[in-house]
Amino acid sequence: MSKKICGYICKGCGIGDALNTAKLAKAAGEQGVKEFKEHDVLCSPEGVAMIQADVDAGYNALLIAACSSRVKTDEFAFGSQVLVERVSLREQVVWGLSEADEEDTLMAGEDYMRMGAIKLSKSEPPTPYQLEGEVAKAVLVVGGGVAGMNAALAAAKAGSQVILVEKEAQLGGFLGKMAKLGPQTPPYRALEDTKVDELVGKVSGLDQIKVYTGTTIDKTEGAPGNFTVSLSNGEQVRAGAIIQATGWLPYDPENLKDELAYGSNPNIVTNVQFEEKAKTGDLSGINAIAFVQCAGSRDQNHLPYCSAFCCLVSCKQAMYVKAANPEASVYVVYKDVRTPSQSEEVYREAQRQGVIFIRRDETYPSISGSGKLTLTTKDVLLNEQVDLEDLDMVVLATGMKPNNPKVVDAPLVAFGEDQEKAKQMTEEAKAQNEDWSILNLAYRQGPNLPTLKYAMPDSHFICFPYESRRTGIYTAGTVRRPMRVSQAQEDGVGAAMKAVQVIRAAEVGCAVHPRSGDETFPEFAMQRCTQCKRCTEECPFGAINEDDKANPLPNPTRCRRCGVCMGACPERIISFKNYSVDIVGSQIKSIEVPEEDEEKPRAVILVCENDALPVIDMAARMGKTWSPYFRFINVRCLGSVNLVWIADALSKGIDGVGLFGCRRGEDYQCHFIKGSEIANVRMSKISETLTRLALESDRIKVSEVGINEVETLMDILKSFQDTIDTVGPNPYKGF
Amino acid sequence: MDYQQDFAKEVYEKVDSGAEIKVCMQCGVCASTCPLREKMKYSPRKLWTLIRAGRRQEVLNCPDIMLCTSCYTCKVRCPRGIPVIDVMHGLAHYALEKGITPREETKKFGEAFWDSIYETGRVDEATVPIKYCLKDGMIAGLKKSLSMLDIGMALMKAKRLTPKLFIPPNFFIPGSHKIKGLKDLQKMLDKAKAMGARKEG
Ligand code: SF4
Ligand code: SF4
Ligand code: SF4
Ligand code: SF4
Repeated sequence: MSKKICGYICKGCGIGDALNTAKLAKAAGEQGVKEFKEHDVLCSPEGVAMIQADVDAGYNALLIAACSSRVKTDEFAFGSQVLVERVSLREQVVWGLSEADEEDTLMAGEDYMRMGAIKLSKSEPPTPYQLEGEVAKAVLVVGGGVAGMNAALAAAKAGSQVILVEKEAQLGGFLGKMAKLGPQTPPYRALEDTKVDELVGKVSGLDQIKVYTGTTIDKTEGAPGNFTVSLSNGEQVRAGAIIQATGWLPYDPENLKDELAYGSNPNIVTNVQFEEKAKTGDLSGINAIAFVQCAGSRDQNHLPYCSAFCCLVSCKQAMYVKAANPEASVYVVYKDVRTPSQSEEVYREAQRQGVIFIRRDETYPSISGSGKLTLTTKDVLLNEQVDLEDLDMVVLATGMKPNNPKVVDAPLVAFGEDQEKAKQMTEEAKAQNEDWSILNLAYRQGPNLPTLKYAMPDSHFICFPYESRRTGIYTAGTVRRPMRVSQAQEDGVGAAMKAVQVIRAAEVGCAVHPRSGDETFPEFAMQRCTQCKRCTEECPFGAINEDDKANPLPNPTRCRRCGVCMGACPERIISFKNYSVDIVGSQIKSIEVPEEDEEKPRAVILVCENDALPVIDMAARMGKTWSPYFRFINVRCLGSVNLVWIADALSKGIDGVGLFGCRRGEDYQCHFIKGSEIANVRMSKISETLTRLALESDRIKVSEVGINEVETLMDILKSFQDTIDTVGPNPYKGF
Repeated sequence: MDYQQDFAKEVYEKVDSGAEIKVCMQCGVCASTCPLREKMKYSPRKLWTLIRAGRRQEVLNCPDIMLCTSCYTCKVRCPRGIPVIDVMHGLAHYALEKGITPREETKKFGEAFWDSIYETGRVDEATVPIKYCLKDGMIAGLKKSLSMLDIGMALMKAKRLTPKLFIPPNFFIPGSHKIKGLKDLQKMLDKAKAMGARKEG
């Protein structure tokens, strides 16, 4: 398709006053955008109508020089076949450089115009990826507990076919094993029936939901929109998306033999065992009972985290005892009572019923006795040692472990790493992986969902709660993190909505979060591939398999369009229609670098669109200003930064290169999970190369910034500017 | 054996507002908020723990329960909505009823206060303290009132106390200070007392 390009400069929001628009247009003209129109308020209905008229007349590539690409997105959208490139004159020039002199401001404006223009000239409209054959539209739900059943119902309600696989002989999960449910309705005081039969009946009664009980999964192959799943009963089913709602495993009380005398007396039981007793037996014989909270929880030797449900469960179980025998002495020995939201009402109700809460310190109480039990604990509220005697039973409130195998990420293998050492590190990491599986993924990257900590599947916790690092496979309920029944219900619904979306995205041929709707995808110029496997290894989402000839085999519906593979590829054969090594490289090369004696240094800052760009916009909006020597270039993710860009910049005489992206590490905020970390590893490897070229490694700076951290951003910008002033001009200037 | 529930049940059932402390979550807001906290051995918070732990003697003999000045701060601030002040007074009443005087001075002051109301229908900043001091006898009473001189001066400065009150005939002529309809007030007070006794009984 031939491209008809037109540029538009907005003169509103102070742009027209601060910049000479004719000069801006001229600068863009050098990079292929010859035609230009101006408007006083481009985002106004009249301005948009002017552009629309051009589009109707056949223009299909538009350079819009106005405000940031993050605002006015609806106004400046003309369908996926019309390329739009935005130049952020308002935020990055007029506002951010309001303290700079006229000349510097104009130079910045011209550079941004050139960069936008060259990008537009080199971009092509996307051709959405289409799976071969029919897109599988069923949602496969693995696990028939609270989360799984609610996911199945929600997906069915949204119009999907559902396949529900449960390993036990009947649906219900832990809900089916409970005597009663904690209060679910205002005023949250009375225990309620679990109504599990009603829920199971609803699920089994729907034609749209096909239930397999007593069944597990032998193998999962394929990609979103096209999963083929082999079941343990020999059947094969096709699904478009998968929800893993495999629930939790009680923490093994055998581990608490030493600390809490588990096993020494049959009347020392766990909360799970007590629940069973409450369901099947009679509790009226209990005259005195103690619950020990945090039994193996929030303890570095056991489960380091809070399971967030055991306090609530103990309150509920204490109420069981009080209901059977109101005169019973019921004690709860706790570290902190953690009963968030409505559970607080349950705590209060237990207190009203006369349950006594005794606060202990970090040491576990000692429990002894062959018949009746005695519990001795430090009582921090009395500041004394106290004894509870003649106890009929002690219940250990143990925590939850996700029913999911632990996967340890192999350390990132990057440029310059000794291959033998890397191999060994990978082997060591792999040895820590748990070797059982639920989904048995036939992925090159392993059979299980990558986990972050404690075997909980890895996800960008804040923004994309249900996602896993295998696109199209979502987690819901207690496998994701410890939670209560009411939360697991909501979780199931949330994951179902995600599953429905990913199937739709596979049909349309676009990305899911965080680049929802993006119709580009990485294309490989395979003739030049050297089979180094960096793309396959570094893709955070396991999107790239390997074919029989050991070539990378991309699965575009698994792809999130982060560009990490593009950043990884040493042969630079991976590109998107509107984002490639060449495009960004050309943007860098289009920057005009003044001669050394002009004393106008230049630094390119590669800005991640997810958090770093918004914070720059916010800073500009708040009236913050920065050096006119910086040039920001948007990138999809720091992981997409190819090292050749650094070389491009430095060899052109640019004095420094910054990479601003999301937080990495354990509490990462990287929207592509590993991108920011990968970038950091790659950059750490190039300082050697720089030294060889007699360049200071300080010229390259990777920084992390959160979406609301304007002050941090300003500090980073300031210190980067200082560094550049200190190291002085790039010796390659003018070559 | 700690945490026997007999005393806790006694408090829940017999003490005014006693059952309200069941929902105390031991946050300590009352303790950190009470202006008397430095004078107290325990605080409301810890008293509730002692009640739950079954420490009857310790609680009923504790002067803290008679130190409360009825400032209401705790009741306003308790996140669990416990009327802490009411329970403090409830405990004090309950102790007295059981023949225990947790704090002699408060008892005396309370009596002086009551007497003043009952006899004149009024309380004022002069008569009540004087009555209170004189409970110790003439000499000791004078000593005590002298020791409280600074408080008296401060009250005067704040115009809460006027020297006129000490000048005859106001002070020395009995009955000059009474309200109209004192008899009716006394009837009401008698009735209230009887009702209170019935409730605690
Ligand atoms: S919910 Fe309560 S018992 Fe469970 S780990 Fe958290 S604090 Fe401990
Ligand atoms: S690295 Fe990113 S862009 Fe490349 S295949 Fe994986 S998800 Fe897609
Ligand atoms: S009302 Fe009594 S107990 Fe409460 S804060 Fe005031 S003095 Fe302390
Ligand atoms: S403020 Fe209320 S809840 Fe907190 S310790 Fe005092 S009485 Fe208990």
